[in-house]
Amino acid sequence: MSDEIILRVEGLMTQFSTDYGLVKAVDGVSFDLRRGETLGLVGESGCGKSVTNLSIMRLIQSPPGKTVAGKVLYQGRDLLQVSDEEVRVLRGKNISMIFQDPLTSLNPVLTVSLQIMEALQLHHGLKKKEAKAKAIEMLRLIGIPDPERRANDYPHQFSGGMRQRVMIAIALSCDPEILIADEPTTALDVTIQAQILELIKDLSARSSTSVIMITHDLGVVAGICDSVCVMYAGRVVERASVDDLFYDPKHPYTRGLLESIPRLDRAEEYGTVGGKRLYSIPGSPPSLIAMPPCCPFNSRCARAMDICRRAYPPETSLAGRSPRTVSCWLHAKEN
Amino acid sequence: MASRKIKLNSIALVGIIIIAVYVVGIVVSLFWLPCDPVAMDTEHVLEAPALSSGHLLGTDEFGRDILSRIMKGALVSLLISIAATAIGAVLGTLMGIWAGYKGGRWDHWLMRLADVLFSFPSLLLAIFVMSILGEKTVNVVIAIGLVYIPQFARISRGSVLTIKSNEFVRAAKSNGASSGFILFRHLLPNILVPLIVQISLSLSVAILLESSLSFLGLGVQPPAPSWGNMLSGARKVMVIAPWTAVYPGLAIVFLVLGFNLLGDGLRDILDPRMRNVG
Repeated sequence: MSDEIILRVEGLMTQFSTDYGLVKAVDGVSFDLRRGETLGLVGESGCGKSVTNLSIMRLIQSPPGKTVAGKVLYQGRDLLQVSDEEVRVLRGKNISMIFQDPLTSLNPVLTVSLQIMEALQLHHGLKKKEAKAKAIEMLRLIGIPDPERRANDYPHQFSGGMRQRVMIAIALSCDPEILIADEPTTALDVTIQAQILELIKDLSARSSTSVIMITHDLGVVAGICDSVCVMYAGRVVERASVDDLFYDPKHPYTRGLLESIPRLDRAEEYGTVGGKRLYSIPGSPPSLIAMPPCCPFNSRCARAMDICRRAYPPETSLAGRSPRTVSCWLHAKEN
Repeated sequence: MASRKIKLNSIALVGIIIIAVYVVGIVVSLFWLPCDPVAMDTEHVLEAPALSSGHLLGTDEFGRDILSRIMKGALVSLLISIAATAIGAVLGTLMGIWAGYKGGRWDHWLMRLADVLFSFPSLLLAIFVMSILGEKTVNVVIAIGLVYIPQFARISRGSVLTIKSNEFVRAAKSNGASSGFILFRHLLPNILVPLIVQISLSLSVAILLESSLSFLGLGVQPPAPSWGNMLSGARKVMVIAPWTAVYPGLAIVFLVLGFNLLGDGLRDILDPRMRNVG
């Protein structure tokens, strides 16, 4: 991992207009991604993780969605301002994506090799034969046995884990600088999860690809990420390196998340009759339509103060093994 | 490798056999006809079907051989039907998948246009177009094609709407695919099944439309034979010479039946929801 910042997201805001009102799915998200870094984006369902990344790729369906503010700086350009054609050329070649559900992410009527060849033909203008050779090479790289024969198979002839491998092959076929993995292991069972994560880790290290890993599984984060952004209700509430976050969480929400993981070393505590129950954060996230103008976590927070109900906390930089920030009044500095 | 063999069911098979008989008849008619289909013979007017006279299916009110006219007319009918369906299928499908994929304003206006065309009964619309364009065989093709555009547009739009929300469309976009690439590489192959069924059913309706137009004197112009104008001529004499109407009528009935059976059979074969049922 180098210090060169490859992607900078600043104050990203994406909203959806619905019959019930304006949904502020992403409400001012900022982060930097460095070359070769694996950044985890965690948070519960509906906190805006996926929308953040779809906004970066400009894949939000409009209407109803619209990215209303913010910047996505890549190669000195703001991706939110350039033409559709310029973004299209970047997609798949410089920034590519792996989706959550490998069952629906592949076209059922096309062979897998045809789908891997697609990006190669679109971006590198490879001839059919060269693209096919490269597709078979990619299949071998991701560990599909007998790739020459399997290349002509259709997606339904592959298992879920193999299909996710094929998705990875498609995403990495053009050696992108940034790989966005949107919960790539959620639909897979645990042993396959480990293999897929290992594969992503290996392949990204090989070409020093930066990875944005969207997940709600802190185990995945601990396993492969370098740093983490914790999101809550459309905002990043805490950003830190993995070690800082796990050993010394600052935001009460991050603490809550870590408390909610069952731990082997505390097994006796919950196991016995009348023992401690596994912690869960009380309440549920606020509606993204009627967002309070204050800290959205205050109603669920055990340490909420008066000011938490009045104003949104500023982002505060704290010292750590590497620079970290947190948005919480508990840590806000006097000024 | 999955077996690519499609098991034909008996319905489709019967349809194919019927159509094959017509095709053989058309091929034969290109090289050989029992008699000249337009040669009049005042000596043998309205002769009943008989082997001995050389007129297997009899003669019409001008003494022309009915079998020869049916064979000659088959080519015209089938060509018009195929060409018209092709026009309707290509233009209608393009319109439909574009509207369905783009949505919004494109969808709104293209589909309103289709609705306007759809609101006319098909024969009325075809008559209307024919009366504007003039009575020529090419115009029959255009008129019937125009009738078909909204039907194909609706079917393909509906199919695209159900397919396009699939994740693989978004995945293709994230790989840098353009709209055209997504439409033709990803969406079109996924909606082929309903289109193929619609095409085979449209072929049969086109035969009927062409016959209707010719019957009304708007389609193929006499003396060139077509099944429709043969029926039209037979109208005045069918009481005393029923064969003049019966045989062209049967020619229409069986070809339409053939295409309909094929269409129904194909639907059963190709629609996975109907497969393995019963």
